[in-house]
Amino acid sequence: MEIDRIIHEPARLRIMMILSGLEQADFNFLLTTLSLTRGNLSRHMEKLESAAYLKVKKSFKGKIPNTSYQLTQKGSKSLAQYWENLDSVRQLGNSR
Amino acid sequence: MDNELNISQDQNTEKLKEIPKWTRKYAQNRTLTIIVLMAMIMLFSMLFAGGMAFLLVLATAGFRKGNMVLVCVGIAASVAVLAAMLIFLIITLKKFGGKNRGMLDQMIDQRIYGKEGTVSVPVPKSSKKKMCLEIVTAVIFFICFFGTWNLAVKGYIAYKYLQPVSALYFVPYMFCGWYFFQSPRIGPIYLLHPMLFAIHAILIVAGVPMFFTTENFCIFSVCLPYIGYGFLAYVIGHIYNRYALKKLKGISHFQGEAADGD
Repeated sequence: MEIDRIIHEPARLRIMMILSGLEQADFNFLLTTLSLTRGNLSRHMEKLESAAYLKVKKSFKGKIPNTSYQLTQKGSKSLAQYWENLDSVRQLGNSR
Repeated sequence: MDNELNISQDQNTEKLKEIPKWTRKYAQNRTLTIIVLMAMIMLFSMLFAGGMAFLLVLATAGFRKGNMVLVCVGIAASVAVLAAMLIFLIITLKKFGGKNRGMLDQMIDQRIYGKEGTVSVPVPKSSKKKMCLEIVTAVIFFICFFGTWNLAVKGYIAYKYLQPVSALYFVPYMFCGWYFFQSPRIGPIYLLHPMLFAIHAILIVAGVPMFFTTENFCIFSVCLPYIGYGFLAYVIGHIYNRYALKKLKGISHFQGEAADGD
């Protein structure tokens, strides 16, 4: 049983959890909800994107660029698997 | 000590599992947009109805006094207002109808909640069958609405019972509308609207005088509760949205700066 290291990082776990409740959310929403810095959030998003857990959609709202994120099927499955594994580890810890 | 640490970690983990729930509740209850849309439609309808009524009264008064200039001006202005309204509707439908459906909502949403960012919940998949069903139910709804009103004016339905009779088709229509066309875009808070409308009907049947008794105002016995309870449900939705955001931030905020991507 292996815990997914990409998801296990607290900020990334929160990002994945937020996106799992929605169809998509933009960078600003994640920024205000998580209160991370822009650079920090960007780094996390890049990591998740490179793992193919997220789909990125770039567009313009008027003249302002807007980046939206959506959880991929792989991302959803990995997140579900992560919780399953984590719960097993916790149960194992509690039984000892 | 270890045990205490485990319990605290367990509680934190359980809290994290609530993030999708609160995110969805937040997204579903950005209802200020609907309130603004409702206000815009109401204002537009009132302006149009008021303008038309004024001009027709003017024309009638001119006809009674034999002032044909006033009659012509009244009729010409009414036709102009009607034409302007038609042109406005065509332009609006062209810009915000068909493929651009929902764009107006998005624009208002962006104005109101833009600072908090943009979120969207899955939109119900649209199909031709669904669209036909939507049109058919809307047509049936309007036939029922004007039919009931007509029956009340002709004396077949007492003005007192106009709202309770209307509730017989209003409530199922609103429930079905939410279940088939709006869910999960709009949360269950929307159901407060038909529920309050049904309670209003029950209260009237029980003898509470919450209705208009004159022919000219009898339609308000239905329209005012419909608009009022809709407004109330969406205001409650907005308050719940603030609560959901507070909860969400409480769970997902970092105390300090989190580690970067590595």
